[in-house]
Amino acid sequence: MADAVARLKEAVMNYEMETIADLAKQALKDGVDPLVAIEKGLAEGIKTVGEKFGRGEIFLPELVMGAEAMKAALAVLEPAVPKGKHRSTAGKVLIGTVQDDIHEIGKNLVSTMLASNGFEVVDLGVNVSGSDFLKKADEQKANIVAMSALMTTTMPRMAEVITPLKKKSKAVKVMVGGAPVTDTYAKEIGADGYSGDASSAVEVAKRLVR
Amino acid sequence: MAYGIKRGVRFQILSESDLDRIHWGTLHVLEKVGVQVDSVACRKLLKDNGCDVDEKTRIVRVPSHLVEWALEKKKSSITLAGRNPKYDAKLDLNHSYMTANGNGAVAVDFETGKRRPSMKKDVVNSSRIIDYLQNVHIHWPMVSSTDQHPSTMHLHDLDASMNNTEKHIMYETGVTISDAKSLTEMGYIAAGGEKEFRQRPVQSCLQCTYAPLQHDAGVMDASLYFAEMGVPLVFFGMPQPGATGPATLVGSLVVGNAEVLSALTMTQLHAPGAAVIYGMGNAPLDMRTTIRAGGSPEHALSSAMATELAHHYGMPSCVGVSATAKQPGDQAILEYYTGCAGPLLAGADLMCGIGLLEDSSCLFYEQIVIDNEIVGVISRLIRGEWADDVTLALDVIEKVGVGKNYLAQKHTVQHLRSGDHFMPELIDRRSFDSWSADGSKSLVDKARDKTKWILANHKVPALDSDTQAKVNAVIEKAKKPMWGGETKRA
Ligand code: B12
Repeated sequence: MADAVARLKEAVMNYEMETIADLAKQALKDGVDPLVAIEKGLAEGIKTVGEKFGRGEIFLPELVMGAEAMKAALAVLEPAVPKGKHRSTAGKVLIGTVQDDIHEIGKNLVSTMLASNGFEVVDLGVNVSGSDFLKKADEQKANIVAMSALMTTTMPRMAEVITPLKKKSKAVKVMVGGAPVTDTYAKEIGADGYSGDASSAVEVAKRLVR
Repeated sequence: MAYGIKRGVRFQILSESDLDRIHWGTLHVLEKVGVQVDSVACRKLLKDNGCDVDEKTRIVRVPSHLVEWALEKKKSSITLAGRNPKYDAKLDLNHSYMTANGNGAVAVDFETGKRRPSMKKDVVNSSRIIDYLQNVHIHWPMVSSTDQHPSTMHLHDLDASMNNTEKHIMYETGVTISDAKSLTEMGYIAAGGEKEFRQRPVQSCLQCTYAPLQHDAGVMDASLYFAEMGVPLVFFGMPQPGATGPATLVGSLVVGNAEVLSALTMTQLHAPGAAVIYGMGNAPLDMRTTIRAGGSPEHALSSAMATELAHHYGMPSCVGVSATAKQPGDQAILEYYTGCAGPLLAGADLMCGIGLLEDSSCLFYEQIVIDNEIVGVISRLIRGEWADDVTLALDVIEKVGVGKNYLAQKHTVQHLRSGDHFMPELIDRRSFDSWSADGSKSLVDKARDKTKWILANHKVPALDSDTQAKVNAVIEKAKKPMWGGETKRA
């Protein structure tokens, strides 16, 4: 059993995107607790990959492949988690690029970095309307709503979400980012956190859910 | 002397057969993979002309013959006119023109050195600097007027530019039909009417395609409008090798080419003969820092190869140049030198552009002046050399003879005057003693001095009050509450 969990961890660290789902299926068949497989296997694996990326030992595509491998195994293991139990995550993040804005690369990187640091990430894509952000935040019971805007003309869209969101719930935190966004601007519109790159986005998210 | 940079030297990266393979590869991608077209109007246009359109995925497969048809309709020679005709840039595949970089959102205050959101006064000042400098030929509003109402920022950018340079203005802010309408109206006003604008377009618009293999609805709807109204367009692909395009530069060129050619096809179907410039700026994503590597050798090479491809099609090119440096100085110079040298050596027609740092995000006024010098140096490198009676100078060699010098020769003076020897303004060639006596200034210090001088001394004739009133009216009309309900998505 311990072997199967270690093997899953290794599979994330080796970016075994194509074959990891079979490993996960086999682990379930062998009676491995899916929660243990996720927390001690996948999460540990991706953490190691994330640390290597942080130290500059591996390149971004390797980090992304690690995250993809984790996702593939999660798709098998999560449905097997008994009802009422939940995998422990660092928190749930809802992320998207705001309406009228289609820049997605930065947003995708932030998603990947958050996922590889134990967050559960729901990615709404690009050109996400304010009402969609609000609806999904409610549905998904997200701890954090994260918004990306890359243009001066679409930055104000973030404020459009924050005001009603905060009115509805004090608990949900908001973080924002994207090239033209600054710390000052983030504060001005009432966001709880801002970061200029994907690695510090993780620190900010961790601080917000603490 | 003709406006622009004369090109006498050209280096070649791709062979004719490489270019053919890229072209056939692109047609294959367009037929087999297709492109996602979010604009309803564009999908209809393509469907009516025999494309295979999937309304659910919005993916359109474009047959080769249609692309080849569009390539025949394109214009090979386009003139981007200046408010002052001495600044007319003739894109004739034989001259190169440098443009300013555009649309950053941050500026470092020239007085206080503080990094802050950009303002309309930054557009005013940078426009005057561009107007003055000799080696920057086409203007872009370099930053956004973020101190103006969000719905009219881009119009204020254009207003500030129109008033502070007589050079041609290219913008990239026409991303909805209503933006396109206001911008076009301002262009017509600047030219003195629609007919005048169509004859001498004093403004043009650059539009980005959406890598990989997509076209934004608002951008394409606006593009069709611009094409119809006679506003020249650049379609600018920008897959990032390794991220939104294959890691190989040629692979990313195929992706970008498929985007540009499909945009060209839609435009020519809608407005046959429209002026379209071939654009591309493929800078890789730096895989350690996750920053787009503007100014990298790969960026320069991609821009150079895109130029070769554009010329293969008989189209003028507009290719990307930028830098990731955070402040003016050594890194910015290294990146801009690399970025400009690649495409200029390959014969790029337009390069966008110089003067912004942090990969087209942050404006330092003095960087514009530094980049002007960089372009000057490279212009000399590519001017070309030739052997004729004048350059061989056999008569002078005979006259001077053995063991004397050429200082007191008319031939020497003539060729200094004609630009045979590049005369730097910022590069300091003085002796150590005179340099240190003059304050041991760095190149950046000297650029700041020159910037100060330009701002204090260079005047640009403003628009007359009649024209200005019309411009103001357009801006006033466009002002709307931010969430007025216009969405670009179909
Ligand atoms: C690549 C690019 C594009 C690509 C995007 C492809 C894609 N699939 O995403 C394409 C070609 C489609 C494109 C289109 C356009 N673009 Co563009 N684009 C860029 C460019 C060069 C790089 C963006 C990028 O991907 N950077 C790399 C990523 C990794 O960095 P990042 O996005 O900044 O994200 C990092 C941080 O900001 C942060 N972050 C990001 N999001 C978030 C969110 C949270 C919550 C947190 C905490 C952190 C965070 O972490 C990220 C990772 O480190 C920028 C200039 C620039 N250097 O920023 C212009 C830029 C953003 N674009 C610009 C413009 C104008 C456009 C167009 C309007 C052009 C046109 N006329 O067609 C269209 C937009 C259409 C639309 N409706 O959105 C302007 C905006 C100007 C302004 N003042 O607002 C810019 C600044 C360029 C310029 N100076 O002109 N663009």
